[in-house]
Amino acid sequence: MADSLPSEFDVIVIGTGLPESIFAAACSRSGQRVLHVDSRSYYGGNWASFSFSGLLSWIKEYQENNDIVIESSIWKEQILENEEAIVLSRKNRTIQNVEVFCYASQNLHEDIEETGALQKNHASVTSANSTEAADPNCLSTEEVSLSPLNSEVTAYQTPNSDTEVAPEVNDAEVTGKKESHSDDKTSEEETSKNKSTAEDSTEQLKKNRIAYSQIIKEGRRFNIDLVSKLLYSRGLLIDLLIKSNVSRYAEFKNITRILSFREGRVEQVPCSRADVFNNRHLTVIEKRMLMKFLTFCMEYEEHPDEYKGEYKAYETITFSEFLKTQKLTPNLQYFVLHSIAMTSETTSSTIDGLKATKNFLHCLGRYGNTPFLFPLYGQGELPQCFCRMCAVFGGIYCLRHSIQCLVVDKESGKCKAVIDQFGQRINSKHFLVEDSYFSENTCSLVQYRQISRAVLITDRSVLKTNSEQQISILTVPGEEPETFAVRVIELCSSTMTCMKGTYLVHLTCTSFKTAREDLEPVVQKLFIPYTEMEIENEEVEKPRILWALYFNMRDSSKVSRNCYNDLPPNVYVCSGPDCGLGNDNAVKQAETLFQQICPNEDFCPPPPNPEDIVLDEESSQSEASESSAIPPNSETPKENTNIGNSEESCE
Amino acid sequence: MQAPHKEHLYKLLVIGDLGVGKTSIIKRYVHQNFSSHYRATIGVDFALKVLHWDPETVVRLQLWDIAGQERFGNMTRVYYREAMGAFIVFDVTRPATFEAVAKWKNDLDSKLTLPNGKPVSVVLLANKCDQGKDVLINNGLKMDQFCKEHGFVGWFETSAKENINIDEASRCLVKHILANECDLMESIEPDIVKPHLASPKIVSCSSCAKS
Repeated sequence: MADSLPSEFDVIVIGTGLPESIFAAACSRSGQRVLHVDSRSYYGGNWASFSFSGLLSWIKEYQENNDIVIESSIWKEQILENEEAIVLSRKNRTIQNVEVFCYASQNLHEDIEETGALQKNHASVTSANSTEAADPNCLSTEEVSLSPLNSEVTAYQTPNSDTEVAPEVNDAEVTGKKESHSDDKTSEEETSKNKSTAEDSTEQLKKNRIAYSQIIKEGRRFNIDLVSKLLYSRGLLIDLLIKSNVSRYAEFKNITRILSFREGRVEQVPCSRADVFNNRHLTVIEKRMLMKFLTFCMEYEEHPDEYKGEYKAYETITFSEFLKTQKLTPNLQYFVLHSIAMTSETTSSTIDGLKATKNFLHCLGRYGNTPFLFPLYGQGELPQCFCRMCAVFGGIYCLRHSIQCLVVDKESGKCKAVIDQFGQRINSKHFLVEDSYFSENTCSLVQYRQISRAVLITDRSVLKTNSEQQISILTVPGEEPETFAVRVIELCSSTMTCMKGTYLVHLTCTSFKTAREDLEPVVQKLFIPYTEMEIENEEVEKPRILWALYFNMRDSSKVSRNCYNDLPPNVYVCSGPDCGLGNDNAVKQAETLFQQICPNEDFCPPPPNPEDIVLDEESSQSEASESSAIPPNSETPKENTNIGNSEESCE
Repeated sequence: MQAPHKEHLYKLLVIGDLGVGKTSIIKRYVHQNFSSHYRATIGVDFALKVLHWDPETVVRLQLWDIAGQERFGNMTRVYYREAMGAFIVFDVTRPATFEAVAKWKNDLDSKLTLPNGKPVSVVLLANKCDQGKDVLINNGLKMDQFCKEHGFVGWFETSAKENINIDEASRCLVKHILANECDLMESIEPDIVKPHLASPKIVSCSSCAKS
């Protein structure tokens, strides 16, 4: 199929993460011929999200740490005398310390196959998947189609290791703590079978028992993000989504709660006026103090004269010290510092803290009672939304397509082409490379930071309320002065990222040690392993962990372009995900790079509305205006928070 | 005109190999009802067709072409998501495009299900039947069997050029979607935010901290 790829483009983009995808969409939108490639079989790179089986495959890939990289040298023949090659890396070094723990019971006699749409194929596959699949390569073809590794697997792939679905994936690396595991599957299976007949009735009575097999079976319900971020409702990404009308590809949920963890308890942080006044834990005086302070944060910049004296004096101290001077009780100081400003106790200046607080307050109320939105189906949707826009404007997409090297013209010092995995030479004027594609030679001087990540599947919320469908963010400050605050985002099943009856919990912090060393203390404070609950105990309020994953991800967001060796001027670099909560960094990178190659072009202007085009003559106006704001499948708009009206109404 | 009682909006996918006539089919189908003002596909996600299904029902169809992603079959989730039905198209003059049909169908079923977990309705289109070379289709029974085996709700010999059977194929698909729909309504999620250009109704929220 690759032979049909054109050999002349204006822009080649390597990597399908968020900055690359925004950039590709912007270029394509302004008329550039764009080729967008990714060496992986899925969109998003380190910004991707996976179904449960997809995530297991991803884990396997990194745990095996396979060095089966075939060093091909087809490219060498292609390099002419007046040219040089910058060889790209074929191995991803951005993920480390991957560790998996399974606490849910693994009754292997059950049918543990992910439910797919191809019912008719089930019979032929069931046995292969469930038990003695010691050989991970024994999967049948049908199975590949049953397992949506994620939805981007090419239609014609052959089954191979990275489409492995079997639950045995985590055998090798699972460390300790697990009561039942599949190492000796046969006996395990025997006993569990016997047990299960005896206990069947009691099992049925126990509510909320979730077995590992159910997670596997409902694996398609999960959309597990590698990166855990939220959108500030007035942040750059929301603005860009709206401006470009890429927002029509996405749907969002409001974060419903801001939580704090203090003295061993999880509490809801009052951040809106209504919250403040409805809060039962705050005294009337505290309520007044908090409102006064928040009002001050909103207005200090607009009334500099009034507040100048008051806040000027504190410019040199940290925000936490400043808060102490603001007649706030310790309780309130804690809320403001950790949950609203989300700044560090020891390092943040007063000005940064006030800015962060103001930004938080500014975003309140646009779409809901917290400043944040979360995309349905996960953060991994967002790069794909921009890729779709790029494709709609003619951009060409190739996943599972690696680039062997960049070809540099010796005389001009500029890059003029790439050579792909098939040895095809593809010419272009500009090249954007996500930095994980560079080889160690190019990056020998680069210093990276790391992000520590954990993903948990739990059985209940960290703070139970009458509604099960809560989306929460919780900041747990670092314990030691040198450790970093841990951000916890808990997603409920209505975000379309986990199966019913479970919660998906993402933990993120700047790394100090390995992900598990950094995050396990917080995990232990908030959760307990599922297995310790064998004896049913209704009193225990902590959520139980069914399954946990830890890993470190490289953070290249602060790396300056000058750190890379010998890059031609028309080769641009963008970073992988940063550790921050918002997505501003990705948007800024994409916009800056776009301005460099298209200095006078508008960045992602809205495309024509397809419904406007089609309906421009005979159709009645009423039909046209009704339709454009309504997403597919929602004939009942009353249910949706449908902010915004059709475009017609604004003009 | 009296307001119809029911309106449905369905997203339909049009998939199949390069050059089988997907875009022509969409153009022909939308075109004949709505003047010649339909413009090129660049920059357009989908074409809209409005059907006055019966006196009480209006059906709006969004027909999604697969844009530049088709070349290697790398469609984004955005493309598949919330689609209610699909046409899979092949070219009767090129057997290879028929061989790809089963692959497209498997691919579709692995990536898209209705909210109730069932596969979406798919109609198979044997396009370019006007060219008289339809060696493939000489056996209608065989095609019926193929559709049964692969879970298509029906198949049609079509010609975008001669406007043969395109309306019929669409009616067949819509009929199946309408028949399925009653069980779907329950799964619509409440409280979804759709940020849009110009939000005139920004709620000046009483809960906003700013006084």
